[in-house]
Amino acid sequence: MASADLQSERDPNRNIDAFAAASPHPVLIMLLRLAGRVVAIVTTLLGLLFLTFSMGRLLPADPVLAITGAEVSKEVYDRVYRELGLDQPIWMQFLTYVRNVATGDLGRSTTTGQPILSDLLTIFPATIELALVAMVVGIVVGIPLGIIAAVRRGSIIDHVVRILALAGHSVPIFWTGLMALFIFYAKLRLVGASGRIDVFYEGLVTPVTGFLLIDSALEGQWEVFRNALSHIILPGSILGYYSVAYISRMSRSFMLEQLGQEYILTAKAKGLGRRQVVWRHAFRNIRVQLLTIMALTFGGLLEGAVLIETVFGWPGLGQYLTRGLQMNDMNVVMGAVLTIGAVFLTINMISDVLYRILDPRTR
Amino acid sequence: MLKKLFATFAVTAAMFTAQPSWAASPPNMLVIGTNLTGIRTLDPAQNNARTVSELISNLYDNLVQLSPDDLQTLKPMLATEWKVSEDGKLITLTLRDDAVFQSGNKVTAEDAAWSIQRVIKMGQVGSTDIALWGFTPENVEQLVRAKDEHTLEIELPQPVSTDLVLYSLAGSSIGIVDKKTVLSHEANGDFGGAWLSANSAGSGPFTLAQWRPNDVAIFNAQPDYWGGKPAMARVVARHIPESGNLRLQLEAGDVDVGHYLASGDLDALSKSEDIIIDSVPGLGFYYVALNQKDPDLQKPKVREAFQHAFDWKAIADNIMRYTGFPWQSMIPRGMIGAPSEVTDRYNYDPAKAKQLLAEAGYPNGLKKVLNPSGAPTLPFAEALQASARAAGIELDLVPGEFTPAFRERKYEVLLGNSGARLPDPFAVATQYAYNPDNSDEARLGSYYLWRTAMKVDELNGLVDQSMKERDTAKRTEIFKKIDAIYGGMNSPLMIFFQRTDPYVMRANVKGYQGHTTWSTRWHDVTKE
Repeated sequence: MASADLQSERDPNRNIDAFAAASPHPVLIMLLRLAGRVVAIVTTLLGLLFLTFSMGRLLPADPVLAITGAEVSKEVYDRVYRELGLDQPIWMQFLTYVRNVATGDLGRSTTTGQPILSDLLTIFPATIELALVAMVVGIVVGIPLGIIAAVRRGSIIDHVVRILALAGHSVPIFWTGLMALFIFYAKLRLVGASGRIDVFYEGLVTPVTGFLLIDSALEGQWEVFRNALSHIILPGSILGYYSVAYISRMSRSFMLEQLGQEYILTAKAKGLGRRQVVWRHAFRNIRVQLLTIMALTFGGLLEGAVLIETVFGWPGLGQYLTRGLQMNDMNVVMGAVLTIGAVFLTINMISDVLYRILDPRTR
Repeated sequence: MLKKLFATFAVTAAMFTAQPSWAASPPNMLVIGTNLTGIRTLDPAQNNARTVSELISNLYDNLVQLSPDDLQTLKPMLATEWKVSEDGKLITLTLRDDAVFQSGNKVTAEDAAWSIQRVIKMGQVGSTDIALWGFTPENVEQLVRAKDEHTLEIELPQPVSTDLVLYSLAGSSIGIVDKKTVLSHEANGDFGGAWLSANSAGSGPFTLAQWRPNDVAIFNAQPDYWGGKPAMARVVARHIPESGNLRLQLEAGDVDVGHYLASGDLDALSKSEDIIIDSVPGLGFYYVALNQKDPDLQKPKVREAFQHAFDWKAIADNIMRYTGFPWQSMIPRGMIGAPSEVTDRYNYDPAKAKQLLAEAGYPNGLKKVLNPSGAPTLPFAEALQASARAAGIELDLVPGEFTPAFRERKYEVLLGNSGARLPDPFAVATQYAYNPDNSDEARLGSYYLWRTAMKVDELNGLVDQSMKERDTAKRTEIFKKIDAIYGGMNSPLMIFFQRTDPYVMRANVKGYQGHTTWSTRWHDVTKE
């Protein structure tokens, strides 16, 4: 816009569009930006759907057999084939699906018979709840550890953090899961083994938010709350440990970079204490970078929790998606991918907003 | 800083240690750890797989039943007695008058007739067995009818062994549903199928309390069940897909019965005194299939070479220890016409296999692609690959899910396993020895012999006969003959093991007996 003004001054004879030359109303700018963003989101989601759909078509699994079992007669096979709409051309199936999604209908799972939307409504909170616990562990433990390691570079703590991080990156998560179950469930009997809650507590709490911890607390059912906590704490901590590994490593290197800057030297020269230098000066400057890391980690926790969900029988999105893929239940796969895509976009938007709050330069 | 951190940890840790969540399964509750994947509905008419058959069999009663330890003798259930007419065309069943659905409605012959009509008219997988007898959506209403409140008549559209028909009535798909209740939930002419997928309307010893697909199914006892109140007030079937986790919960006593454990975990559990492993024979086999559309595999000598290329003894005691026993006849052990022992048809003899290949024109051996039907048969396929190499057959093992390819005859060599519910050799014979039309267009994917592209007219005739013949002695002879022909023809479907399904349970669980036809019932289960 500014350049347009300059141009018009420089070359007044040029026939410039009057609309572009005039400064547009700020509300219009905002609306345009918003529209641009919506277009971007819709295109991303459509592209995502198209990719998923095409990949599903390349899988050798047969969605009919997933439902009927292998010992099925020709008549029944054909009937189910038609019922699933598989006799339609592929592009037609895709268009039908997109049209339905646009009206809020994600279809039915061919393997559970339930509407995808209602499946997602129970599954999604389970995953988010687990991811949030993992995230809290990751942040509360990971960031301080990383910063301490950076401040006391080369000390024993630094080495311990490095080894922890290395282990977190290299030990397979299902192994950690089974080992943890063996120790904390089978031997010490501190935690629950499988699922979100013991079967004895099933159905005691009416789902309001879908988060068991919140729902049970709201109703004051502390027995249920404790049980749910004992079930989530182990998978949550293990997932959290893996994000601790990542977050602490990243905070350490961000911090080291800042601590080498001249303003730190200045601050130290002014006679500020180490705590003030680290937390008030250096830490402030790595907040934005950390935010990016946290957003990425959280997104990764959603679909990256497949193995831990399987080991702990956690009825979450990762398991749902994998099972859908194995059974070639395309409605499930696309519903789950769409959800993950939507979450990623939401996280992106939230971090955009947070950037603006945390980093004055972006305002 | 560090001190604070540790203090926080200590407090958090104390919070958990103070509240142990130790809770073994209570004495009046049975917890089953299983795999609920792929169960899309609990409607009897729309199912025939293993896990779901067990769930359904406890919600719905059948007209007749087979006890797990005697698969040849029909026992009363909703029907107290049954008669077959002289000409074998009419079966008349008398229903008990004290059976009540969970809605409070009485169980009548009308409900029974409608339940069977419903299965046929819906034409879903549940109709697989009963449709074999010639019932169609058009004729079923006239043929299956209520004569009065307690009398059900089943007229047969074609000559069929009435034993077979009665066996099929004991299958979980023919659970009797409450006509009035189901019809009140009908939508778009679906026979109440959508509603029944997540609700129950039966007269069984349990009712469905909660159903979350791929997570949990909870069943409550029906206190005034006509057969007496079940000892278990509640049964929970929980989705525990990870075998290692399931094993830990079985050892801890949080789970009472476990299905689908991996062989490593079964080995470990077999050493525990608190655990019993019951390997229940199934009506199916582990087989190697050779596609007869392949010009090399078509040659009888090549097929014969394959019979001697597999060292099956080497895996009998490890990989197959809980999931099968050596068996090479097409008739399952203990059924009419079955030999007492068959493990000598296919002996591992690499030298002989090599010689046969040379005679067939392959002095330098043969190279083929081997597919396992799915992940569970992969270890078996690896063993086959190793021993076939010594016999001059180079098998290129490509793992994946190949059941669809098998059904479309797009493979070379395939290793798979089969299952059936009908406790009669006829059920297996239709799979392994029947192929009325070998053309690609026929798409007879439910017949394994069609999948291997082989057609033997003599076998077709005998299988047809075995369905129609009513005399047990004559049927026994027919099955013996089928098996003799099958064993002598260098069959493209080589049977090496009969399937067993391992059920793992805690030693204090009594009366839980895995059923060969998958209709495992919990009514008599107690815990000490």
